[in-house]
Amino acid sequence: MSADTLTIRNLTIEYQAKRGAVQAVRGIDLDVRRSEALALIGESGSGKTTIGLGIVRLLVSTAKITSGELIFRRFGIGGQVEKEFDVLKLSPRELRAFRWKDCAMVFQAALNAFNPVLRISAQFGDTARAHRYLHGEALRKRAYELFDLVRLDPERVWNAYPHELSGGMRQRVLIALGLLLDPPMLILDEPTTALDILTQRNIMDVLKDLREKLRFSLVFISHDLSLAAELADRIATVYAGRVVELGNVYDTFQNPQHPYTIGLINAVPTLTTHRDKVSSIPGSPPDLIDLPSGCKFHPRCPLAIEKCKLEEPELVPTSGPEHLAACWRWQEAKQILMPSAAEAELRNAKQER
Amino acid sequence: MIPLVHKLADFWRETIKTLKLIARNKMGFVGFILLLLLILMSFVGPLIVQPEVRADITQIYKPPSWAHPLGTDFQGRENWIMLVHGGAEVIEVAFLAGVMTTIIAVIVGAFSAFLGGKADELIMTVTDVWLALPRGILLIVTAYFVSLQDVWALALFLSVFGWPSLARQVRSQFLSLKKREYVEAAQLLNLGTPHILFREMLPNMMSYILIALIESMTGAIYSQTYLVFLGLVPFGNNWGVLFSLAYAKNAIYNTNAMSSLLVPMGGIVLLQLSLIMFSRSLEEIFNPRLRTGV
Amino acid sequence: MSKPEKKKSLSARILKSYALQTLIKKFFIVWVVVTVSFLIVRGLPGNPVDIMVINLMDTQGISEDEARTRAASLLRLDLDAPLYIQYFDFLGNLVKGDLGDSYVMARGKPVTEIVFQRLPWTLFSVGTSLLISFTLGMFLGIVAAYRRNSLLDQVLSNLSAMIGAVPNTLWAIILVLLLGVVWKVVPLNLMRGSVSPGIKPGLNITFIWDVLKHWFVPGIVYVLTTLGGWMLAMRSSTVSVLGEDYVTVARARGLPDFRIITAYVGRNASLPLVTALAISIGFLLGGSTVIELIFVYQGVGFLMSQAIAKRDYPVMQGILLVTTITVIISTAIADLLYGWLDPRIRIRGEQE
Repeated sequence: MSADTLTIRNLTIEYQAKRGAVQAVRGIDLDVRRSEALALIGESGSGKTTIGLGIVRLLVSTAKITSGELIFRRFGIGGQVEKEFDVLKLSPRELRAFRWKDCAMVFQAALNAFNPVLRISAQFGDTARAHRYLHGEALRKRAYELFDLVRLDPERVWNAYPHELSGGMRQRVLIALGLLLDPPMLILDEPTTALDILTQRNIMDVLKDLREKLRFSLVFISHDLSLAAELADRIATVYAGRVVELGNVYDTFQNPQHPYTIGLINAVPTLTTHRDKVSSIPGSPPDLIDLPSGCKFHPRCPLAIEKCKLEEPELVPTSGPEHLAACWRWQEAKQILMPSAAEAELRNAKQER
Repeated sequence: MIPLVHKLADFWRETIKTLKLIARNKMGFVGFILLLLLILMSFVGPLIVQPEVRADITQIYKPPSWAHPLGTDFQGRENWIMLVHGGAEVIEVAFLAGVMTTIIAVIVGAFSAFLGGKADELIMTVTDVWLALPRGILLIVTAYFVSLQDVWALALFLSVFGWPSLARQVRSQFLSLKKREYVEAAQLLNLGTPHILFREMLPNMMSYILIALIESMTGAIYSQTYLVFLGLVPFGNNWGVLFSLAYAKNAIYNTNAMSSLLVPMGGIVLLQLSLIMFSRSLEEIFNPRLRTGV
Repeated sequence: MSKPEKKKSLSARILKSYALQTLIKKFFIVWVVVTVSFLIVRGLPGNPVDIMVINLMDTQGISEDEARTRAASLLRLDLDAPLYIQYFDFLGNLVKGDLGDSYVMARGKPVTEIVFQRLPWTLFSVGTSLLISFTLGMFLGIVAAYRRNSLLDQVLSNLSAMIGAVPNTLWAIILVLLLGVVWKVVPLNLMRGSVSPGIKPGLNITFIWDVLKHWFVPGIVYVLTTLGGWMLAMRSSTVSVLGEDYVTVARARGLPDFRIITAYVGRNASLPLVTALAISIGFLLGGSTVIELIFVYQGVGFLMSQAIAKRDYPVMQGILLVTTITVIISTAIADLLYGWLDPRIRIRGEQE
């Protein structure tokens, strides 16, 4: 009996394009545990957003979920399973009830997430009414609570029209709206990408605060590894529609095992990185219609060998049951690609002794 | 000599390619062929078929039959001959008015978009004023006073009234193009406004301008139909005049005479429909978003 | 945090008000048309005044001087005064609501009286048709947008384009032909006139029903000429709204489809069309000249066609000015309506 909020098994999503089928998500297995924050990290086009959209079944009409199951569990106060169902098998009415109440997906670019002709209060009202939640004064009080949680001035926001609020404010209103129905799971897709750095910081602080107070499960989708590190308990690196590394946030950062993850870590310069040593991952993401053979990362991988061109590695436990990687050379990856880090570690370890 | 042959060969290849593209959209293809036939009939036809000048009273209002393929009119003239001769003026006016309207609209729209700022505001205000007037009535009243003696005069007249709405559309197209990077690049290279307009932006707008031209033509045909019907355009032996005459002679109530009313009307309707069908297929070709399939 | 804006001084707020700016623009347009109208009378070749004078001389056998005096009085202009004085007289008369007298159709009757007697009929027929066309067009447009590129959409879009392209004159004749002569489903006398002879006007069912019956076929023509345009405009507006983020978010929030279609898609998609409403009125009023002529419908359009035939210039000018002002007023109403409907405009206007 699983105690996870969401269990994804073998999820495959394809889009129809003129040239052929775009394989956006290729057989993903993931678990999101109760109250945990899982980060999905990858470049644009890696499939991470598609996974998020797939969970709430908000894909474009040209997309099809060709296989898999998405088992969602709702838990009662005592910790027992109240409801368990496969999201992919929900009827349209059940799906509408599921959305936002069981799982709320908050998109990036909240700049345009609100209907421009309705006040914020009306939009909260719409959502509440759709789920037969509170209304009138009770709704307003609840909304005010949420606004306080996200550090917004309720008076300023409640009767306003969306265009009267700044981007950062709108993002926070959207988060507050996401929490309105007290969902056990929240999906945040690049929640800070379009915002300036100060607002970004604000939102990150708000998110950390909320997680502590409300303890919902969070799926955090981003390309920004450092942000993910702040918020996440576990990190899943996604490449070409598959998870290539999955592990606890500390483990993943200290002992990354997939060359792609290492590439991402290396690509974030620190304050003291010499400008000659700022690196990025060479090449560009693969064509999802015409994927390379074997391991999809091999054309860009500095460690690629013959085997990598022939066989695609499975995501398997490597240094422990909680750390998985999909690479034939996971053991040597960090050694070869992050020598300075490895050395620094040795030095630290020596100093500690 | 040889380069000329190459150019011709290229041109031929391009034409075949475009024809194939047009053929992809069945409706557009039908429209295109129909348009071609109408043009042929109206311009080549009169060279072959003699105009009917004699009135034969004994043959008044004969319904369609083998002897009189499309019936006869109130003077005994063959309707089908009138049909062949009646299209040229209509098409000429439409084409000229369409070209003039498009030229004015493109110039105004392009410069307005490009100059921006106060100049843009001023031009747009003038355009808006012109747009806000009840142009139909103004058209009628002005037509009453201005003597419209020939095809060119009518075309010019129509385009003076027709350019504002197109100019607005052209301007917004230019504005969206202006934001694209290659325009910025050209500006950085200090290539000068006329160069940017004509060498960089215009080619990208050709497809749009072509569609706009056809729309202007349909608008011109629309307007000239009712101007002629109201008696404000005192020339010609074209379809508009023919059906107006037939109507005035109460052909509507006379089953025998109906063909003299319907034949010229049919000509106008077919012309309009062919233009519309053709322009819709052009839209599909040039606007990839409209094409079926992602 | 403080309230959005401090209270500006009253005069500043009035000056920046969107409503006021709209009104000023409209006045300007009216002034332009009035001036153009005046210039047409006095400036163009085929000078209507001279034509009137000659006409008067011919029909009434009076001398040129007498004719000139008569014409001057009919037009309310002093023909010998310098042009700018005539212009100011003209403006002055307008403000007083005096448009001169008809000199052919109803000897000596004030134009204002004649025009305003007919105006309600035209406004009724055009207005009702516009309402129907707009509503139907909006509905079809949303359907087509939701099912874009389907067979239904293609049929609707192509039909719309084709139906709208056929000139209104021809539609009117076709309808009379089909409905009245060929299929005989509508009695011919219903397609002549705006009301059956002998029916007393008043707020009774017989009268209203009769009026509606007479409006019906011309109304179909008006609808046919505009429906396609509305449908295509609404379709393209809806397609672009459907691509907006807030629609996806609305679905993610689990909102019912009906609510999304009406308050989220519908309202936003119809906004740009509101401004087009007024232009539509102008278009239909122009078409009314021909359509009322064909249906002998006793409105302003019919009056215009008679004025043309009988060369009654004061009436023509009067109709031109009255219709212009009507269109301008509806444009102003439409713009104000738009400003009220779209909170982005409403508030921005006040905040600037």
